[in-house]
Amino acid sequence: MRASKKRPHRAIINEVRRQISMRSIRTVAFSVMTCVLALALSACGSSSSSSSSSANSNPLSSSGFPSPLNQSLTGGKKGGRLEVLDETDFEHLDSGIAYYSLDYEVVFATQRPLYSNKPNTATEASPDMAAAPPEISPDQKTVKVKLKEGIHYSPPVNREVTSEDVAYAIERGANPNVANPYFKSYYGVIEGGATATGGPLKGIELPNKHEIVFHLSEPKATYFASALVMPLSAAVPKEYAEKFDKNKPSNYAAHQVATGPYMYKNDKNGNVLGVGYFPGKSLTLVRNPNWNAATDFRPAYLDEIFIHIGGKNTVLDRQVLEGNDVVNNEPATPQSILKLAVQQYKGQLEVSPGAGAHYISLNSHTAPFKNEDLRKAVWAAMDRTALDKARGGSDFTNVATHFLYPTTPGFEESGGLAGPKFDFNEHLEGSTAVAEKYMKLAGYPSGKYTGGGTITVVGATGSPSEEDAEIVNQTLKNLGFNTKFTLVESSIAYSKYCNVPKEEINVCPSVGWINDFADPQTTLNITFNGKFIEPTGNVNWSQFNNPEVNKAMTEAELVQGKAQRAAAWAKIDEKLVEHAAAVPFDWDKQGMVEGKGVQGVGDLWDVGEWDYSWTSLK
Amino acid sequence: MSVGAAEVLPAPGESSELLELIPDIAARSPFQLFWMRLRRDRVAMVSLAFIVFLIIVAIAAPLVVKLLGLPGPYVQNLNLTDSFGSPLGPSAAHPFGVDQLGEDVMSRVIYGARVSLEVGIIGTGISTLIGVVVGLLAGFYRGWTDTLLMRVTDVVLSIPILLLGLGIGAACSVHGCIKGLIQPGLSTIIFLISLATWPYMARIVRGLVLSLREREFVEAARALGASDTRIMFREILPNITAPVLVYASLQIPVNILIEAALSFLGVGIRPPTASWGQMVSSATPIFTTAWWYMVFPGAALLLTVLAFNLLGDGLRDALNPRSAR
Repeated sequence: MRASKKRPHRAIINEVRRQISMRSIRTVAFSVMTCVLALALSACGSSSSSSSSSANSNPLSSSGFPSPLNQSLTGGKKGGRLEVLDETDFEHLDSGIAYYSLDYEVVFATQRPLYSNKPNTATEASPDMAAAPPEISPDQKTVKVKLKEGIHYSPPVNREVTSEDVAYAIERGANPNVANPYFKSYYGVIEGGATATGGPLKGIELPNKHEIVFHLSEPKATYFASALVMPLSAAVPKEYAEKFDKNKPSNYAAHQVATGPYMYKNDKNGNVLGVGYFPGKSLTLVRNPNWNAATDFRPAYLDEIFIHIGGKNTVLDRQVLEGNDVVNNEPATPQSILKLAVQQYKGQLEVSPGAGAHYISLNSHTAPFKNEDLRKAVWAAMDRTALDKARGGSDFTNVATHFLYPTTPGFEESGGLAGPKFDFNEHLEGSTAVAEKYMKLAGYPSGKYTGGGTITVVGATGSPSEEDAEIVNQTLKNLGFNTKFTLVESSIAYSKYCNVPKEEINVCPSVGWINDFADPQTTLNITFNGKFIEPTGNVNWSQFNNPEVNKAMTEAELVQGKAQRAAAWAKIDEKLVEHAAAVPFDWDKQGMVEGKGVQGVGDLWDVGEWDYSWTSLK
Repeated sequence: MSVGAAEVLPAPGESSELLELIPDIAARSPFQLFWMRLRRDRVAMVSLAFIVFLIIVAIAAPLVVKLLGLPGPYVQNLNLTDSFGSPLGPSAAHPFGVDQLGEDVMSRVIYGARVSLEVGIIGTGISTLIGVVVGLLAGFYRGWTDTLLMRVTDVVLSIPILLLGLGIGAACSVHGCIKGLIQPGLSTIIFLISLATWPYMARIVRGLVLSLREREFVEAARALGASDTRIMFREILPNITAPVLVYASLQIPVNILIEAALSFLGVGIRPPTASWGQMVSSATPIFTTAWWYMVFPGAALLLTVLAFNLLGDGLRDALNPRSAR
């Protein structure tokens, strides 16, 4: 149950993309010219709106804006061509590899996993390729899934989907040429999965063409069944894809066929590259002529989706706001655009709650933050409302008080909005008195850190991570720490420092996480279980390794039943707070903008990104 | 130097009586003549005044900030941002507005002057020192010394300073390089700037020395048994001071811009230290909602660079009247 060593979780990738998108290289000369122009055009105007503190409002509220929770899923107008402005290219179009929220937008419009979520839920998966909910054996070691009949591949394959295709789709995830990033974490529990390299899996049984049975090596069927919403379970025709999967890396994506309502535009031989997809330029989705609406819950209103790749997000978003049949496609809408949308284009903004969490990792493996009381002192001193304000304020964030975030099972059980009751967690704006108390408990009677040495703080460049980092750094200095503060490119901050324990970074100020499916284990286990501390690609950023908590997690992995699992992991969440495993400060709400003529539908389960199978034109 | 001597000495054949008729004329030193000419150049004088003002403000930054009633440059106050976290604009309490962290922009612009001037003046000082020594040696000795030094100069000239800065920024950002010897920050910026700019000075000095070493006063010194070192540093160096000063004064704004560019690219001065280039960089994504955050540090950068350039022009004219604008 752990994420790939090689690839960061999609939340981290989102963060990386966010940073890259926020920075651009310009010459100073240009800036000076801009500055002079600005002086001349002082009509730019200054904001005069009053300040307000970031209230910890209802975490599921979208502040009156449309959200995946209240948007209409019916009555869309059929037909039309949607234009999408996308700053950066896709990472992977192959459903067997994709692990990034932006990739999911096109993958889920073209592929049908066994189960998938409707846009307005992140917890109630519906049978998609499957005909019914999974049948789980009492011993939790077998999962049986019946497939719908009458689902056909797009041209040039055209034939009906069978259970063999689902088996091949999952098995190819272990193929090094495909290298699915989460196969080991979620599908490694299938018998033979732990050592699989792409061939048939011993634990997959195919009783007939429309039934697949998974035999597991451990009694974790409930958790495994939840993972069948991942796009790896979307069928792949072996006789067609196998030759592409023999290439290293597999180039099946350039020839991929669809089972969903849309397909990547291709030629009669199935070639997508150079026909529907021009890397770095555009991707075109057209209707899958073999899609059978009767087998699907998606309405698929649009005729075509044309995705422009390239540009700068602040410019693209303005084009979206002033445009008609157009939406943005980005991991995070810039704060300046959100403000503009709220003030001038209110009807064109959608706010999606439950879009993940951010926290400050304090390295608990080495001094000084090996000392739990010091971590609590930092938690107590931190002005979490300030951190949230830097991320867009209360319309787009909630102050986090624990690690399970809204929309994740166990959130309410572990305290909901207020979180677990500990004095260091009570003061959202920070408390000097409580911080001093824990400083004294940590062995610093003056209430300030006097332990000497310098702690390394590595943040990511670009807004809002840069602001997060500076606020955290200043708080640490106020507590008496001598800091060595560095901002580096987001990708470097993670891949070279925060994800690499031997670098001994003391503080990573804004690491982020979003779960893959509705199970609290996906939020807490890999990020705080000591057994998942990896030499590289480590996402237990705090290197938290508490035997008591590790044991509780191992036990909770085997708990059955949604309510029971939620309760078990909520207790672990409380334990993590009790030990100040990290300092959570933000539960994200994602703001997305759309053109005047678009009835956009965002996915609650995919950080609010647009769902092309539900979006329509007005 | 003989500059100005002709203005006070009688021409051959003129009667000494004539001089007696003009009792107010007195001999002026080269510096007096230079200062007299510079004072006539109003643009240069305004620039000089601005630079002096800037230096005073930079040195007394804590006092200036206190006198103006501004918060310190590192005081964060998110209450000074609006409900979206956008910084608020200029007001009586914060004449230049605040940034995304609620830090006072005016306070940071004042402290930013320290960085710019330190980099500009110290960087130029070091590069001038290196360039003058290398140029003197190459021009005076010629031959293999000249060839060797000029090839080294060519190699150094070929180093792309911004790329080198980016490389060091990426490779040495957290733990530093060479056991922590190279760390991104002010000292590395000054080192980089000195490294990148001394060859220009060296080439100029070499050219001047090649010309001067053949002049009579050098021959005379040599005939009197002066050592090479004495000839270079006591005879030739004073005669190249004017062009060196002019070039150095023009190098200062270039160095300030290099620092700003490196900080703009995120590999210069580290936050939270205030630097104009870094402020302009941070302001770029929010320019449409917080123009003041780019305009004021940008204007400070613009005016400082302009002042140094105009003063440099004035110095050139004052030190070398034949090249008047």
